[in-house]
Amino acid sequence: MTTAVSVRQLKKTYPGGVEAVKGIDFDVYAGEVFGLLGPNGAGKSTTIGMLTTTVLPTSGTASLGGYDVVSRPLQARSMSSVVFQEAVVDKGLTGRANLQLHADLWGVRREHADQRVEELSALLGIDEIIDRSVGGYSGGQRRRLEIARALVSNPLVLFLDEPTVGLDPRIRQELLDVIALLRRRDDMTIVLTTHYLDEAQRLCDRVAIVHEGEIVALDTPTKLLARLGDQLLQLRVEGDVTVALAALGAHGVAAADAYVIGATLTVPLHDVSVGDALRAIDQAGLSASDISTRQPTLDDVYLRLTGASAAQAA
Amino acid sequence: MPQRTSLVRSLRTLAARRAALTAHNPRQIAVPMLTPILFALVIAPALKDALGGLHSSIDYTAFVAVGTVGLLVPLATTFAGLSVIVDRDSGAQRELLAAPVPRPLLVAGNLLVVLGLCALQIVVVIAAAALRGADFHIRASGVAWFVLAALLFVILMYGIAETLAARIHQQEEYIGATPVIAILPWFFAGALFPISALPGALTAFAKVLPLTHAMALMRYGLVDPKGTGLHDIWGMSNTTAEAWLSLAVVALFAAAFSALSVRAFSRAAVS
Repeated sequence: MTTAVSVRQLKKTYPGGVEAVKGIDFDVYAGEVFGLLGPNGAGKSTTIGMLTTTVLPTSGTASLGGYDVVSRPLQARSMSSVVFQEAVVDKGLTGRANLQLHADLWGVRREHADQRVEELSALLGIDEIIDRSVGGYSGGQRRRLEIARALVSNPLVLFLDEPTVGLDPRIRQELLDVIALLRRRDDMTIVLTTHYLDEAQRLCDRVAIVHEGEIVALDTPTKLLARLGDQLLQLRVEGDVTVALAALGAHGVAAADAYVIGATLTVPLHDVSVGDALRAIDQAGLSASDISTRQPTLDDVYLRLTGASAAQAA
Repeated sequence: MPQRTSLVRSLRTLAARRAALTAHNPRQIAVPMLTPILFALVIAPALKDALGGLHSSIDYTAFVAVGTVGLLVPLATTFAGLSVIVDRDSGAQRELLAAPVPRPLLVAGNLLVVLGLCALQIVVVIAAAALRGADFHIRASGVAWFVLAALLFVILMYGIAETLAARIHQQEEYIGATPVIAILPWFFAGALFPISALPGALTAFAKVLPLTHAMALMRYGLVDPKGTGLHDIWGMSNTTAEAWLSLAVVALFAAAFSALSVRAFSRAAVS
C-alpha cells in the first residue's frame, strides 16, 4: 500500500505551554478515508494545521506524498487541498472565481481547470449558482462550493476539517452523501476530522480516536466496535455510580471496557446477562433506572476510551 | 496531480484576486480621496485667498495639492491593510495560506493592487487640483522624481499597514491606530506649510519623517523646481544631491518596512 500521509511522533506545544498534540503516529494509505475523531480541543485541527503547514510542529515529522511539511512545505501543499471548519471563501467573488483562483494557485492548466469547474459544480449541485456572488449562498451551498474548490486541483490528499459542523441535519446528510460519492468515484485519499462519530462510522476505512492530544485507539470501525461485543447494557444509577461500577467489576459483570458518563453506566455484556448486572447493583445497595440494551456504536468506543472505566473505579 | 505554478503566474493570480475584491468595494477606492480632494479644492484655495499664499513663486493650491498626496497614500494603504484583517477574519486567507505558493507573494500581490489604486487616486487628486486652477510645473525629469517618490512612499506605507494588520488582531484596534499612522505625521511633514515655519524642535522632528522627504521630492517634481522643500531638509546647495538623498531616505524606509511586513505576515500565518 502506498502511504499518502505519514506522521511520526508529531507534537505541538503552543506558547504558554498548552500541549495540543502529544507525539502522535499514524499513516494514511492512498485511496483511504481516514478519520480523526475526538471532541473540541482534542488536537484534531492542530494536527490538520501541521499537515497543511499553517501550524509549525514543535517536534516530530509529517509528510504528504513523501514531502516533509517543514522542510518542503510548497511541495507538501501542492499535494493537498483543505475544506476548513469555518467558511473560508471570498464572498465578494462568484463561485466560479473562487474555484478558478484555487485552480490557478495550484497550477491547474486553464483548459483543464475550466473542465473541472464545470464537472465539479454539476456533481456537487451548484452549477446553477456558480456564477453568483458567494455572499448570497446558503450554508450548504457554500460548503459544497468549498468541497468543489478543494477538488479542482485533484489533490493526492483531501483534508476535511469538521466539514458538517454548524449545518442543519438535512444539509449534513446531503454532504455526507457527497463525500461518500467522491470516495467511490475518485478513489481519493481523505483525512476527515469530526466529532460526529456516526460520520466516521459511515465514511471511514480507519479511524484514530484522539483524546487530549493523543491517539487512544486506531483501527477500522468494525474492529473498534468488536472490542465492545454484541450488546451493551445502559442504565442510570441512583446513588454513587462509581460504587456501582466497582460492584459490577467485583462480580465479574463489568470488565475494563465498562464506562461512566455522569450518572449513566454503560456495560458491554460479555457472557453475562442483564439480570447479573442488576443483581450486582442491587447487592451494592443501589438502584437502577432507564435500563436498556442496544448494539454498540463508535460513540461507545469513544466514550469508553475517554470516560471513567471500571479499571479506574476498581 | 497539480503542478507547481510559476511565481509570476501566482503573483498575477493573487493580484487579480485582490483587484477583484477591491473593485467589489468601490468605497475603498473613493473614500480615501474625499479629504485630500477637500483640502486641494476647497481649503487650499481658501487659505491662499485669506492669507496670500506662500509669498514665493510656488502656487499655494498646487503646493497643498501635492501635500494631500501625503494624506491620500496613508489613508488608502491603511484601508488596504484593513482588507487584510477582513481577509483573515472572514475571507479566503487560509485557503491562500494552504496554497503551494511562497507566502511573501500574498503580500506582494496586495501591494501591486495598492500601487495601482494609489496611482489612480493620485492622478484624480492632481487632475482635480489642476482643474481648480493649481499651477504645476510639468517637466519630464520632474514627473520622474514625482513618480519615484510616490512609488516608494506607497510601498513604505503599505509595508506599515501590512505589518500592523499582521500584528493587530482586532479590526477595532487597527482602526484606532489609523489616525496615528495615517494622519498625525501629515501635520508635521509640511503638508500645508513649509517645515521651516515650524518651531525649531518640530522642524528637526519633521526632517526625520519619511513623509517629509517624500512630499519635498514630489513637490520638487511638480511644483517646486528650485527644491525649496529639499533645502529646508538638507540645507545644501546642490538640489539634485538633496533629491537623491531624500529618495534614499524614503527607499530605505520602504525597504525596511516591506521586509518587516513580509516577516510579520509570514509569522502571523503560522502558529
